[in-house]
Amino acid sequence: MGAPTPSAGRLANALVRENELVSGEIYRILLEAPELAQALHEGQFVNVSVGGEAKQLTRIPLSFTQVDEQEGTVELVYALIGPGTRQLSRVEKGETLSVLGPLGNGWNLSAPLHRVLLVSGGTGTAPIIAAAMALAKMGVDADVVVGARSSDLLWGIDALEAKVQGEVIAATDDGSAGEKGFASEPALALLAKHDYDLVLVCGPEPLMKVVSAKAISLGIACQVSLERTMACGFGACSTCAVKTVHAMKGACMDGPVFDASEVIFP
Amino acid sequence: MSASLAVNLGGIQMKNPLNTASGTFGFGWQFEGFYDVSCLGAITTKGCAKEAWPGNDQPRMADVYGGMINSVGLQNPGVRGLVEQCGSYLAELRERDCQVICQVAGHSIDDYVAAVELFEELAPFASGLEINISCPNIACGGIAMGSTPEGAAEVIRAVRPRTKRPLLVKMAPARVPEIAKALEAEGADALTLINSIPGMAIDVRTRRSKLSKPTGGLSGPLCHAIAVRMVWEASQAVSIPICGVGGVTSGEDVAEFILAGATAVSIGSQNLFEPDCAPRILAELEAWVAEQGVRDINDLRGALEC
Ligand SMILES: Cc1cc2nc3c(=O)[nH]c(=O)nc-3n(C[C@H](O)[C@H](O)[C@H](O)COP(=O)(O)O)c2cc1C
Ligand code: FES
Repeated sequence: MGAPTPSAGRLANALVRENELVSGEIYRILLEAPELAQALHEGQFVNVSVGGEAKQLTRIPLSFTQVDEQEGTVELVYALIGPGTRQLSRVEKGETLSVLGPLGNGWNLSAPLHRVLLVSGGTGTAPIIAAAMALAKMGVDADVVVGARSSDLLWGIDALEAKVQGEVIAATDDGSAGEKGFASEPALALLAKHDYDLVLVCGPEPLMKVVSAKAISLGIACQVSLERTMACGFGACSTCAVKTVHAMKGACMDGPVFDASEVIFP
Repeated sequence: MSASLAVNLGGIQMKNPLNTASGTFGFGWQFEGFYDVSCLGAITTKGCAKEAWPGNDQPRMADVYGGMINSVGLQNPGVRGLVEQCGSYLAELRERDCQVICQVAGHSIDDYVAAVELFEELAPFASGLEINISCPNIACGGIAMGSTPEGAAEVIRAVRPRTKRPLLVKMAPARVPEIAKALEAEGADALTLINSIPGMAIDVRTRRSKLSKPTGGLSGPLCHAIAVRMVWEASQAVSIPICGVGGVTSGEDVAEFILAGATAVSIGSQNLFEPDCAPRILAELEAWVAEQGVRDINDLRGALEC
């Protein structure tokens, strides 16, 4: 027995190809990082370092939406939520950023799958898009529910509609786009309507809690991707704690994807 | 001929002064994918208690101006867990000529004694033990015991007879000269300072602490100038060696600690922000020593002129 296995994450200087406003407070950044693009698996994340912002010395953990292995590019989507992401939004095309990745475990899509339900809220949509792309490639049917507070924070619908073989439903808290209400409502309706063999959820914890509880009660496997504040991303600091029925685990190395039956939601 | 960087930290012979701050370096193996960890003079492992601790609720960290604030609450696998999970790695790291300092945590004097005894029994690879009497994130033990000279002395009086290995003490950023003297008098071989600085960060929209607890520990560059002052004060007060910790991001920061009187210097939070920083900082330190024109880095210790 040797040492435990270190993270597969590696540091790279990535060239910024594009960095643009998508809608509301949502930005999309396209990075040229060929080795990272090869290594990333759907549901994994990268840690991006921004320079020149004294309020953001830790790296910003961001899930990827898509990679293009031929182009060697990785697409990340982020919301302006603080000084760090604001600084990131100011980075210009042609600059380089230090990125660390691939980090975390990613979705487990290995079981024989027929129909999968994907549910997201807010920036949780990024790893859900990555899962949708992978399922489309595998030829698996998928229905997707995407939630946001309002229409200007809703994104990713076009990319999803272009790829998935199944329904794409939008929901906004204020009804300014799609159905009015939380993403959990159409998600629970779909769970009652179709036979799914897997449910993937990423978004606010109340959403993950409600949808996963229903899936589990129906005997459907459910994975959730958890968001935590984290200082390293590779298992060195224990700031990213996740309470599970087994023990305290870490979102960065044991996750961010967990089997929902294992997670103790607050 | 390049200058000698070797130092002796209270009986721990290090090939260079660079060490890592407990809690910011896991158990060392986490960094092997970034560089050869054995380039360091020593590593210090996460504080471990006689049994595993679950730590505090999340959120456990937030970004603050010039650093971060954490409230991990000393989540650790216990001494047995450490030995089972990474004992063979740590033993091998020592064979690669990197010293392994194991930090000891406790909620009470009996806890510290029990943990030291377990390290004695199970961890022959430990080059030395560092007693953490300064964690700001646990309700009892930690800083609660280490913030007075009497409390700090009591812990060291109890553990000192249980080990012949070099005994270090991790100190809080408070009452440094008095507590340093008390620790020296009880037979501590070296002092490590500073631990993170108690602080707060509030989300003004929700009016809640950004951590699961009201307060946490500040770390990162914001600590550096305070830590240098405290290391300098300690070095005036005692003659045992000091390991300087706080906001190290460059070779220049290490050099400041050495000039202020530190024998060794630990890299802390920077390991988390820039996981491959240690080889860079070591190269910068070497360049500084060369530029100062000395044969031996020990000639620069405490060489502050004022
Ligand atoms: C996430 C985190 C966990 C820490 N855990 C410990 C610990 O277990 N024991 C300890 O003595 N100090 C702990 N510290 C404090 C550091 O060892 C160090 O004293 C402090 O961070 C100041 O150094 P820095 O500014 O270089 O980070 C921790 C710090 C951080 C950021
Ligand atoms: S973020 Fe550091 S251990 Fe997970």
